[in-house]
This record gives sequence, C-alpha cells and structure tokens, in this order.
Amino acid sequence: MLKIENASVFFEGRGRIVHALDRLNLDIADGDFVVALGTSGCGKSTLLNAIAGFLPLSEGRITLDGRAIAGPGADRGVVFQKDTLMPWLDVADNVALGLRFAGLARKARREKAEGLLDLVGLRDFGRSFPHELSGGMRQRVGIARALATDPDILLMDEPFGALDSMTREQMQQLLVDVWHRTGKRIFFITHSIEEALVLGTHIIVMSPRPGRIVARYRADFVRRLAEGASLKEIRLSDSFGPLREEIRDILHRDPEPKEEAA
Amino acid sequence: MTVIDKLAAFEGEVPSSGATGPRTVRMPAFGISGQPTTLISLVTASLLVGAWWFVTEYGLVSSLFLPRPAEVLHQFVVVARDGYAGAPLIDHVGASLFRIGLAAALAILAGIPLGLLMGLNRFAKGILDTPIEFYWPLPPLSYLPLMIIWLGIGETSKVTLLFLAMFAPICLAAQSGVRSLPVERAQAARTLGATRLQLFAHIVLPGALPEILTGIRIALGVGWGTLVAAELIASTRGIGFLIMSAAQFLATDVVFVGIAIISVCAFSFAHAVRLAERLLVPWRGRG
Repeated sequence: MLKIENASVFFEGRGRIVHALDRLNLDIADGDFVVALGTSGCGKSTLLNAIAGFLPLSEGRITLDGRAIAGPGADRGVVFQKDTLMPWLDVADNVALGLRFAGLARKARREKAEGLLDLVGLRDFGRSFPHELSGGMRQRVGIARALATDPDILLMDEPFGALDSMTREQMQQLLVDVWHRTGKRIFFITHSIEEALVLGTHIIVMSPRPGRIVARYRADFVRRLAEGASLKEIRLSDSFGPLREEIRDILHRDPEPKEEAA
Repeated sequence: MTVIDKLAAFEGEVPSSGATGPRTVRMPAFGISGQPTTLISLVTASLLVGAWWFVTEYGLVSSLFLPRPAEVLHQFVVVARDGYAGAPLIDHVGASLFRIGLAAALAILAGIPLGLLMGLNRFAKGILDTPIEFYWPLPPLSYLPLMIIWLGIGETSKVTLLFLAMFAPICLAAQSGVRSLPVERAQAARTLGATRLQLFAHIVLPGALPEILTGIRIALGVGWGTLVAAELIASTRGIGFLIMSAAQFLATDVVFVGIAIISVCAFSFAHAVRLAERLLVPWRGRG
C-alpha cells in the first residue's frame, strides 16, 4: 500500500509562497490504477514528484508498504512526460539501465530487456538508437525501462501528453495490457478527462490554489478494456458520457483564486 | 452532419514516378543546415591561390612582401632537404608537436576532472572559478615574461604557457557539459537506482562528452595560436622559432613555409578531434 497522509507542499517563488499541495490524503493499493486529473498548476505533478522522492514534503508523509519515502529509488519506476532516454545507449541498453545499476551481467540484462521490449511491442528494436524512434516508440521504451527494475509502483507524469491522438490511443491500450499482465500499481497523471476515465480504477480530480483533491471516482472501464472491450465500445457505453460531463463540470467550476500571501 | 465527399482524398492523380520522377520540394531552413559546402570551399581556395599567383607573377606586389607560390614551394624543398638554422625540418616540426602534444595531454588530464568537479561541487567551483576566470582572458603574450622569470628559458616555460592557454577552454567545457545535464535525465537515473558514482559514470560523463570534445578542439586551436609566442622564448627549434627567425632576415618565403606547416598541423589536429567526435559521440545533437 502506498499511503499519502496529510501531504502539504509550499514553494517559495518570487517573494511569495505558493501552496502547491494542501493536506492531501490518498491510498494506492495493490492492483490499483490511480489517475490524477486536473488543470495545470493543480499540484498533480508536485504530488508525483513527492511520491518519486524528487521533492520533499513540507508537511505530512508518504509511505510505500510501510517504508517512509526519502529520495528516489528503484522501488518506484517513473515514466516522464519528456523523453529521458540516454541518446548514447541503444534501446536495449536503455531499457536495462536500471539492471546495470543493480550490477546485473550484460547477458542477463540484454535478455531481460528483450522480454520487456516484447511486452511493449518493440521486439526488433533493441539495437536501434533513441533518435531513430518515433515519439510513441520512445515512450514505450520509457515504460519498459521503468518496468525493468520490477518496481512496486509505476509513476507516470502525462506520458502520452506529447503524442498524437491515434498513437495516444494505442499507447493507452498498451498500458492497460501491461497493467493487466504485470498487476503493477500505477499512479498516472493526465489533463485529459477521457484518458483518466479509460485508464483509471480510481480517478482523483484535483483543483489548484491550493492543490487538493476535489472529487474521487471509481471506474471500471479499464477492467473492461483489459478484458477485451475496445476503446470505442467504452466511450460509447451508457455511463461514460455522463461521467465525463460531470467531471468536466467540476474542472470548469473555477475555484476562487486564493493567493497565499507570504 | 453531412458527409461531403468521402472519396475526394483518394481521387487525385498519383504523380507518375517515371524516369525523371516528380519535382520534390522542401521547406527552406534557417542557416545552411547541412547543405554541402565542400565544393564552394574548394573553389574559394583555388581562387585565392590563383589571385596570389596572379599578383606575384605580374609583379603587382614585391616578392619581398609576398613571395611567389613557386618560390615558397621551392623554399619548402630546400628547408626540407637542408634544414633551417642548423637543424633538420623534422626537428623543428617535432619540437613544436612535442610541446603542443605534451601541453594538450596535460591540459586534458587536468582540465576534464577539474571541470567536471567544478560542475558538480560548490566548493570546487567557488575555489577554482576565481583564478581561472582571472587568468584565462589574458593574452598569453602578456604573462610570457613571468613564465620566463619563474621557469627559465627551457622547455618548462614553453609547455607551461601552452598548458595554461589550453587548460581553460577544456576545463570550462567540461564544467558546462555537466551543467547541461537535463534534470529529468538525472532524476530518471536516480529512480533506476543509480548511486552517486553510477550517476556520474553512466549519465553525467557521457552527457558531458560532446562539450568536452568541443573544448578540446577549441583548446588545440588556441594552442597553435600560442605556439609562436611560446617559441619566442630563447628557442633554437620549433616552427614558431623558424617563422620568427626567418622574419628577422626578411625571408618571407620561409615564413610562408612555416605558416603552411602550422596550418597543416592545426588542420590535422582539428580533423582528428572531429573524427573522435564521430566515433565517441555519434548521437551528438540527436539527444
């Protein structure tokens, strides 16, 4: 269980204090696919950075299976919005980078990488270099790389934000398959309502200033997707449209911008 | 909603790819962006040599100021055969190459680790920044007298002068290479379980390599530029010495021979680094 308890984050910038996260509570249990949805500046990336260990909390605490989080670690795999592959390593070496850090022999690393590339549909691309791949393919490599060290949770920061909508749908389907097959917990950030509904077993809607959760939903679209339903069937299903509009209303309900004076 | 014409997109005639093929177009880019320039350069070079030949052949410029190409070529053969100032040409070239080579090796050995350290550590940066920023904009000729007073007139002062000139660009390049590391890349490595040492060896160092190689290329250029100054110090060997000595006898043709040798050497060095770049960082500019 990943437990976030009373997490608050304050940034100092240009002489004023920004309240980025306000006493946030969230549990992510085994097998959960939690999607954080919100406009930019709502604190969803701040939350992810805190879970990843890139950012300390001002208040509160985060524990992963009982261990307090103090800095980044291989138990939490991160897929970034920006492509962060190492340009000097071929795709297989990029995927196996974490295994190299863990001291695995080259042969074992390449074998594991092959398997993971297969999982993300890039079987024959191990020897290619990142610059030879499309944006969608690079993100797949990023997912494979994050899975390589067998983390307890996968953290994804708008990983498909820069992709065209067709590629994006392919990637959503792929991610659901990966989630279904590996059973990993996933914490996923997006600002697309449809993406949140399609992917999440749990959807938290966040609002800015200060960043907090304003609504929580459970959804079962992702389970149906994992069991073979198509994205189209899901989008056309009875409950999808109303739920999407309900969430849209929440996001559009512009909260009074509260400036936190220093 | 009405469908206007679903097939419209497919009805256009496909241009036949016959013998000539369709006229391909492309978006004009800013700058030259990879268009070949070799031919233009070759034409320019031949025009310059042609102009040189023309103005000397027809006596437009006295050969005391500008010798004829043939004279320079002849003088090269003479110097190569008989040597200059009591030493064979190979000794002059060898002496210069030794000084530049040794100074470059020392500058690389010292500049890369210190530069990396400056990029990584606040204290290293704070301590080393002041002396480097102070001395490196100085023209080497200005502290040449100090080198002689402190280190004498032997090889030490020459190599030190060259070392100082070449150290700063390499050190600053290594430092900037470290600083150009995208924060996400470092974060990615940390979440993959990299220790600080692994982060350095597997992420920081390869990431800084392109800039380091650029620094070495610049340093070699600066090094050749400083060579003549270094060989002003009581030399009896060296291309720089050859040039300065020939100048005293108004032997313009020998000066040209010396200049040509330096330019060939400098060009080869720069090319060697370019080759190293192609081998070591083929991914440069694509990451």
